[in-house]
Amino acid sequence: MNNIWGDMAQYDPVTWNWVIAVYLFMAGLSAGSILIGIGMRWYSKEGNKESPILKASAIIGPVAISLGLACLVFDLTKPFHFWLILVNYNFTSVMAIGVAALLAYTPLGIAYALIVLRDDLPKWKLGFLSPIGQLLLPFRQVIEVLLFILAIGVGAYTGFLISAMNAYPLLNTAILPALFLASGLSAGAAGNLIVALTCFNSSAGDDDVTKLHGLDLPVIVTEIMFLVMLFSSLYFTGGAAAESLASLSQDIWASVFWYGVVGIGFAIPILSMFLPSSTRHTKAMMITVACCSLTGVLALRHFIIYAGQSYIS
Amino acid sequence: MNKRYVMVHDENKCIGCQACNIACRSENNVPEGVTRLQVRVEGPFGEAPHLHYKYNRVSCQQCENAPCVEVCPTGAAYIGDDGLVTIDDDKCIGCMYCIAACPYKVRFINPVTKAADKCNFCKDTRLARGEQPACVTACPTDALYFGDANDSESEVTNLINTKVTYQEKTHLGTKPRIYRIPTKRGGIES
Amino acid sequence: MIELNRRHFLKGAAASGATCALASVIPGSIAAFEREPLQGVSSEVASICEMCSTRCPIKARIVDGKNVFITGNKEAKSFGGKVCARGGAGHSLLYDPQRIVNPLKRVGERGDGKWEEISWDDAYKEIATKMNQIKQQFGAETIAFSSKSGSLSGHIFHLAEAFGSPNTFTHASTCPGSYVVAAKAIFGTKMKRDLSNSKYIINFGHNLYEGINMSETRGMMQAQMDKGAKLVVFEPRFSIVADKADEWHAIRPGTDVSVALALCHVLIYDNLYDKAFIEKFVVGFDEFAAEVKQYTPEWAETISDVSASAIRRIAHEYASHAPHAVVDFGHRATFTPEEFDMRRALYAANILIGNIERKGGLYMGKKAPGYNKFAGENIAPVLAKPGVKGMPKPSAIRIDQVEKQYAMMWSSGGIYQTILDATLEAKPYQLKAWVMSRTNPMQTLTDRAKVEQAIKALDLVVSCDLYISETAAYADYILPESTYLERDEEIQDKSGKNPAYYVRQRVVETIGNTRPSWQIFKELGQELGLEKFYPWENMQTLQLMQVNRDHSLLENIKKVGYVSYGKPLMLREPEMVSEFAQAYSNARALDDDGTYATAMHFKTPSGKIELTSQKIEDMAPGRGVIKHRNVQLKQADELYFIQGKVAVHTNGATHNVPMLANLMSDNPIWIHPLTAGRLDIHSGDAIQLISSVGREEGTALVTPGIRQDTVFAYMGFGSKNKEMVRATGKGIHCGNLLPNVIAPICGMNLHTTGVKLVKI
Repeated sequence: MNNIWGDMAQYDPVTWNWVIAVYLFMAGLSAGSILIGIGMRWYSKEGNKESPILKASAIIGPVAISLGLACLVFDLTKPFHFWLILVNYNFTSVMAIGVAALLAYTPLGIAYALIVLRDDLPKWKLGFLSPIGQLLLPFRQVIEVLLFILAIGVGAYTGFLISAMNAYPLLNTAILPALFLASGLSAGAAGNLIVALTCFNSSAGDDDVTKLHGLDLPVIVTEIMFLVMLFSSLYFTGGAAAESLASLSQDIWASVFWYGVVGIGFAIPILSMFLPSSTRHTKAMMITVACCSLTGVLALRHFIIYAGQSYIS
Repeated sequence: MNKRYVMVHDENKCIGCQACNIACRSENNVPEGVTRLQVRVEGPFGEAPHLHYKYNRVSCQQCENAPCVEVCPTGAAYIGDDGLVTIDDDKCIGCMYCIAACPYKVRFINPVTKAADKCNFCKDTRLARGEQPACVTACPTDALYFGDANDSESEVTNLINTKVTYQEKTHLGTKPRIYRIPTKRGGIES
Repeated sequence: MIELNRRHFLKGAAASGATCALASVIPGSIAAFEREPLQGVSSEVASICEMCSTRCPIKARIVDGKNVFITGNKEAKSFGGKVCARGGAGHSLLYDPQRIVNPLKRVGERGDGKWEEISWDDAYKEIATKMNQIKQQFGAETIAFSSKSGSLSGHIFHLAEAFGSPNTFTHASTCPGSYVVAAKAIFGTKMKRDLSNSKYIINFGHNLYEGINMSETRGMMQAQMDKGAKLVVFEPRFSIVADKADEWHAIRPGTDVSVALALCHVLIYDNLYDKAFIEKFVVGFDEFAAEVKQYTPEWAETISDVSASAIRRIAHEYASHAPHAVVDFGHRATFTPEEFDMRRALYAANILIGNIERKGGLYMGKKAPGYNKFAGENIAPVLAKPGVKGMPKPSAIRIDQVEKQYAMMWSSGGIYQTILDATLEAKPYQLKAWVMSRTNPMQTLTDRAKVEQAIKALDLVVSCDLYISETAAYADYILPESTYLERDEEIQDKSGKNPAYYVRQRVVETIGNTRPSWQIFKELGQELGLEKFYPWENMQTLQLMQVNRDHSLLENIKKVGYVSYGKPLMLREPEMVSEFAQAYSNARALDDDGTYATAMHFKTPSGKIELTSQKIEDMAPGRGVIKHRNVQLKQADELYFIQGKVAVHTNGATHNVPMLANLMSDNPIWIHPLTAGRLDIHSGDAIQLISSVGREEGTALVTPGIRQDTVFAYMGFGSKNKEMVRATGKGIHCGNLLPNVIAPICGMNLHTTGVKLVKI
């Protein structure tokens, strides 16, 4: 029968677009970076010395989340009314919970950055902020703990937000928050590495850089495990869920997954571990591999957003 | 007792003529390019000569367990006193979570108000005046019924109790309030 | 970056950009005027729709100064207070920025699309001068006047008569002419069908669920849903009415007459027919029975692809419900050149079971004069017909008044197609000009190339229209008419089983510089020097004349919108007749059988129902008896090309109306999967249809809902002039593929032909 009922463009199930995928990436990057920065600090019990990795995470943490939030606001259809979401809360919505968490996380992240970078600020002509960093120094412990917990929340909440939509079988899975958290750690590690190596004159042989590097493989393996869990649970659910597995073999998003997420994001970092140590541990190689990780995480976010929304239950 | 407004769409009487589509648009000033209501004539299904069309009304299901209300961060999407899923344009920021969360994909951004929009059973236009929704009034073959299912005397209660009806995507637990009377031929895909 | 339904935004911007660009280029369109909120005349006005020819009674209300919410008028029971999608979209037409609201004059060649605005006075002067020149030089008859029959068409024909031209045409020969002519041949008058009370309905492609006629559509749906009626549909395509039917038979296109005659055969030779009725009221039965003897169901099966056993069974089922069963005589009657006998065969099937003036059968409209006679008192007011004395009698014959066989069409709308030959070949004489109103022959006549050629060959073309339609695009002058929502008109007769009247009234103040067509043709007439044929002042005068100066009656009709009088009456239905007689003390006495059967009055030569017609035999020897004649509609290697109506558009008229164009602006062609598979065609592929007169490019829609040897498209699309911005170039133009044909007796056009299908 001919279409006599009008345009169906508004019924396109893909509602959110690449801007949201970028936000998810930024949130994951920010949270992962903070988790790794603070986590490593606790593990190594460094005392007052700020490692380059920590400094990197202090920059990436607040900057990434701020950029991400800016993306979000401009993606709204009523961007100048964004303040309404800061004032009205409906706590059955994961998005409202996320807003509340971010309302605490972002300022805390900036505060922590001021603490960690209190000595580097003058180098960047931000010396007037150093006194604030000094002032906050006594509260460092508390801030670190709060920030750490909030970072877990921020890293996972986007996963909860998307998995709350039972319309999309590919997204409506329990594993999504875990996947996002693991993926966020991967991005955070890579981001920290790049910033530490380029901005804070870390060298490849540094202790904490090596430790960070050592996180790569376990995180990737965890991610792969979560993905396998995700896809097999879809397969075994059957029906519309199983149909969404077509996203792995059809259209452009299959390419994005296999080339972007698996090829660039997993395969290259893993394969690089088979290179001789001399090549592997050069700055250039480490930065390249880190960039591949980041690309992989970005690709995963895009795949989830687009392929996920393309299949309706 | 609270009202439980439901709508019944008789796919036997529906001829897919879009009178409802146009009436809704006229009464509620729906801008061009978007629609609150469509009736899609799908098919034909089956094997000739035993073919049949499905007359699929696509509009807000007014779920009793609405995903859109659950996910709205500001509470712009809410259930009103009349039990209807309503939108407060002033609180909507256009994050589109509700549009993504709706399994029936019937919410859209209104290009004029920039807020989310959907069929609301003519809540502020005709229901407010004590009239039936525009689509129900307009249907040339009387294929639409509307009323309070909590009222045991109402026509809709009678239909739901005496006819075979089905609903869309009930497996998602949304508890939609649009009931469909299936056509006399062919299987039912929900 | 603001993501705001990017698709819609871009689409809207492009579309409004295009329309803005063009609309601001088209002089005289609404786009030139500032948009003000609509000025309603009252809170709710009763009026009459004009989005199609059903003309449903409506109630209209202004909503927020932006839209007009239109529903039906509940006073008219059979219409149920409803309007269809087209009726509801009337306001979209009203304020379409592309609608023309100022007279236009052509600049450049015909069809170039260059226009300049002109004042009404100047337009009238120039047109009148040219028309009088042509009259002086060549004779008034060389100007043809055409209008789709409607509430105001009388005015353009009055002008034609005053001017002295006999050449007036409606669209009859492109659509309903033959079932009207067939009814007149058999019954002497048009017949109505009582679908809502029918228990068994046989339908030959009369798609009431897409070509919506509100009271009949509702009636049939109620009969099916509430009263358990059985519907049998014979149609080559699985349309909506085929879907709602209890049985659908995919009949070969153009072979309906064979099945109809086979049904009659079974009714007669299986002794199922109403002998008493035939004896009392019908002449010509013996000749018909003799002819029909050879038309067995087995014979029909070989022609139509409908199984003989089905035909037999259906005939028996049909007869078992007699007399409350009906064979629908259809509406668009252009399936084959043998339409006249096809429609007569359908009427015959009704006559044989004696369903005339019975519930669920066929009946004649009960207008006030006749009804009052039955009732013995003035139940219903009789409307006067304002006429003008001393109208000139044209000396020339009509251009279609050459062959005697077409005599019945000369007063039933004429043969529209003859304008083409008269222009291009001067047969029977040369036409020089064409004045048209509310008609779009570029879409509705066939052989578009010929129509274009003819229009270009004329000296003067004047079009009264709402848009620069595909036809108006070739006019010299475009006189913009007000839409139906801006007009007051004469009271119309809408009698059915009892007398009823309704009236069209303006709902909003006139937008722009338009005028109602009655005023246009009056003023043109005055400019032509024909004032003495226009003794009436304005519409109010005419309305008062109709009601014989009864102001309160007029006020009442205007207030209520639709008024009906008395009890419904069907002359041979005992229950209805006895109720009628009881209600009116002075009513006519009943016959012995408790009915008014003897009062049935057929305006035929014999005074009875003429199953075989001597009158037709005299007009066209060999045609008195209903007969099956072979027709060849296509070549062996071609596919049948058929068309139909869709619920959201009206023929060739509404495709630029914004709301309706947004619902549907393209007509992908239905192709059977096997036919498509052989050519590797899938849904959405670009294809070409090639016929004997033209070729069209369109899109494919592969569906099992069509015969293998047939392709189908909804008609009215594919407008080729750029001013129809929303419609131009979208879909295929059906008229461009159909040949120009004048069928015997009824002069009908032809809407079935053969095409070759090619993948592009």
